Amino acid sequence: MAHVLIMPRQGNTVESCIIVRWSAREGDSVSADRSVCEVETDKASFDVPAGSGGILLKILRAEGDDVPVLEPIAVIGAAGEDWRAALGSAAQAPGGATTAPEGGAAAPAAADSGTAAAGAAAPNAGDARAATGPEAPKESPGVSPRARRLAAQTAVDASALQGSGPGGRVLERDVAAAAAPLTAAARASAAATGAPLPSGGSALGGRIGVADLGAAKPASTPVKATAAGSPASPEIGPYSDTPLKGIRKIIADRMRASLAQSAQLSFDVSADAERISAVRARFKASDKALGLSEVTIGDLVLFAVSRVLPAFPMVNAHLVDGTLRTFERVHLGLAVDTPRGLMVPVIRNADRLSLAGISAEAKRLAAACLGGSISPDELSGSTFTVSNLGAFGIESFTPVLNAPEVGVLGVCTITKTFVPGPDGAPSLRSRMGLSLTVDHQVVDGAPAARIIKAIADAIGDIDLYLMK
Amino acid sequence: MSEYDVIVLGGGPGGYLAAERLGHAGRKVLLVEKEKLGGVCLNVGCIPTKTLLNSAKQYVHAKEAAKFGVNATGLSFDWGVMQSWKTEVVDKLVGAIALTEKKLGVEVVQAEGRFLGPGRVEVRGVAHQAAAVILATGSSPVMPPIPGARDNPKVVDSTGLLSAPAVPERLCVIGGGVIGIEFAGLFAALGSKVEIVEMMDEIVPFMDKEQAPLLRRAMKDVAFRLGCKVERIEGGKVVYRTKEGTEASPFDGAEADLVLMAVGRRPNLENWGAKESGLDFGPKGVTVDDRMRTNLSGVWAVGDLTGRSLLAHSAYRMAEVAVADILAASGAAEPEAGNRMRYDAIPWVVYGMPEAAGVGLTEEEAKRRGIEIKKASLPLRVSGRFAAENGFAAPGSVKVIAEAASGRILGIHVLGAYASEIIWGGAALIEQELRVVDVQQLVFPHPTVSEAIREAVWAL
Repeated sequence: MAHVLIMPRQGNTVESCIIVRWSAREGDSVSADRSVCEVETDKASFDVPAGSGGILLKILRAEGDDVPVLEPIAVIGAAGEDWRAALGSAAQAPGGATTAPEGGAAAPAAADSGTAAAGAAAPNAGDARAATGPEAPKESPGVSPRARRLAAQTAVDASALQGSGPGGRVLERDVAAAAAPLTAAARASAAATGAPLPSGGSALGGRIGVADLGAAKPASTPVKATAAGSPASPEIGPYSDTPLKGIRKIIADRMRASLAQSAQLSFDVSADAERISAVRARFKASDKALGLSEVTIGDLVLFAVSRVLPAFPMVNAHLVDGTLRTFERVHLGLAVDTPRGLMVPVIRNADRLSLAGISAEAKRLAAACLGGSISPDELSGSTFTVSNLGAFGIESFTPVLNAPEVGVLGVCTITKTFVPGPDGAPSLRSRMGLSLTVDHQVVDGAPAARIIKAIADAIGDIDLYLMK
Repeated sequence: MSEYDVIVLGGGPGGYLAAERLGHAGRKVLLVEKEKLGGVCLNVGCIPTKTLLNSAKQYVHAKEAAKFGVNATGLSFDWGVMQSWKTEVVDKLVGAIALTEKKLGVEVVQAEGRFLGPGRVEVRGVAHQAAAVILATGSSPVMPPIPGARDNPKVVDSTGLLSAPAVPERLCVIGGGVIGIEFAGLFAALGSKVEIVEMMDEIVPFMDKEQAPLLRRAMKDVAFRLGCKVERIEGGKVVYRTKEGTEASPFDGAEADLVLMAVGRRPNLENWGAKESGLDFGPKGVTVDDRMRTNLSGVWAVGDLTGRSLLAHSAYRMAEVAVADILAASGAAEPEAGNRMRYDAIPWVVYGMPEAAGVGLTEEEAKRRGIEIKKASLPLRVSGRFAAENGFAAPGSVKVIAEAASGRILGIHVLGAYASEIIWGGAALIEQELRVVDVQQLVFPHPTVSEAIREAVWAL
């Protein structure tokens, strides 16, 4: 009996995964634990083992496809076995290989794909893409109230739009673009080129005409795609184009959305780093059995932040749709640089963890991110984020909010600088730069200043906080 | 508080229509016209020539009616009756404009106006004030400095020729543009020997280069001297130099009874304060933006004066754009989306014998702009009605040009009867940027000449 390989569930929040690449080909012999493909969620990537030994009979979804979890992606069985039969029985027995999804969202998709694949006699059945049927209707990310109002005024079906807001939420601008009257030629041209629509047009009745679609470049001379490395013109020289996809695309979308939807304001201070440096030196030299010898400056900052934030619930919060949700517990997001790009795993309940606990959790999460084994559930739910660029010698920066959070702390390098001592005489001190970005929608300047000062004080008096 | 909301200087198509639209919107308007309402178009341009052309066509149709089974004998025409019919038409239409302005509460004054600056126009020594001024002083025929042209009673412009006391035996037309072609066709139909001397290699520069020769060949009673530059005029003898460098004269050296100077028109910028007021203008006309605003605040300019498109219907549209902008600027109306002057889909008509009309790009213009096109040309006899009414050998052609990649209609050109009445539809297609596939879904009435456009679109 052939085994239908399904897109595995990656935690409770993941609805679909993108197939990054297939590492096995149709006809390959695979063992149950061999990875046959790499998939990526919006947060991390994973290897999918074959699950059953045999021949990879059929790959159902192509690289780049965004496949809802629990949908079939491949069939593994004995040589010569008919993969269609396996899919057919899977559809008939949803309790079997394709276990019934818990949520309702994926159910129609599973049924659709089963039905389409079962119709093996259909002319296109041999085509993997055609056989998988329509994509699952994802849970709607919603339509903003302003968008809904404009949609009603302009007779636009907002629910049918691809939103540009967080998670594909349909915003007013999406409706405005859909409602913009275009000439027939402009509509065809915009669809062909993907050119963004201007807010108004210069053609008849204010319609958007071909000339309004920018560049006024005749559609008959499309810009030719230039292969990487071939010189486009002598002035520019060779170049290469890399389409943003996977995590890079997600980061790009998130960052742009973050800046577009919040009022970010940053503050720089420096904290006295004499004690934190001394404490760190002592830990490093301490008995390994204490479990503190691996504690870093960064861990100490995380600890300080976890102890300060409960006093400032307004920045240990999410701002969603005009509602500020403050949290009792501190779940610290930790920006981790990986070869794939930025990842932000979460140290849960950091305010309740000891320094050793925070340090151990930070190390475990960072390692999991770098190794690609991080669970998507560990990449969501942070209430405040810390980004540490101190190791690169950065003296200050403007961290970007990890939406929907309203605060992010940038940790900068430690420098030696002369500051007036208690007697007014210059004294050489270690200072650590701190950069706090807040969402001015909910955090005003003075409270933000109080917050960053409190964090700086906690770092300056880290030894006292450790004794608390 | 100003006396008027708007003062309009000039009562031609641009000026009188602006006054009408403003009057309709309840504005207090003063319309200043030194001569008759209607301007060149109505008094000495479009309408009188069409009236005379109609008479000439009746005459030609009667002469050619035998092949359609109608025998007319003893045919003759009466130039005097034609002239009086022309006068009657013009007078009635001028009266109608005056009546319309009156009904709409527009104050019309027949006097020379002088533009003093933003908001101020002097009429008969009195300075009137208004929140807005529309300048619409029109254009005049160019009289080039050709030796012997000035103060020569045989050399006339279009206005002079319209009121010629008799049909000339020999008419020499200098300039193969719209005006030259129309008068040549008119008088050739009435029996004049007509020769056109044109400096360029082809007549009507904006015409499609496939259709212009067809029009020339269709006007078989007119001789065309192309690529010839007029050197001097001696009485009724026009001396020109050919491209080869030889001197020659029309009519084998015989004197023409009349010489029509039709080499173009230029904006009227003299004697009404354009220079003194600080208005920005160049040799081609007053500088305006796409809402017909001049450089002066509260001052708009429309029509031939702007030099942008010397056509009465362009002036109409400019007037509407200016009025919409004035109403929006005064807060009286919401700015209308897209109410801007666009020049890409202005149709033109040449009332030759036969008539020709076009809108949008010619093949040559598309090439000049680097646009890759596809095109289709068909003879007008693909239309049953055209064949029935004109015969199978009658000159007629339709040409449709579309952008190669998108199929967007870029130009429509028609030579033959009814071209003038069809062409607005071509303008609508281009304004709406419809594609070949869109036009293919339109229903054209049958049997009409317009069906030829549909056939050409399907031939693309």
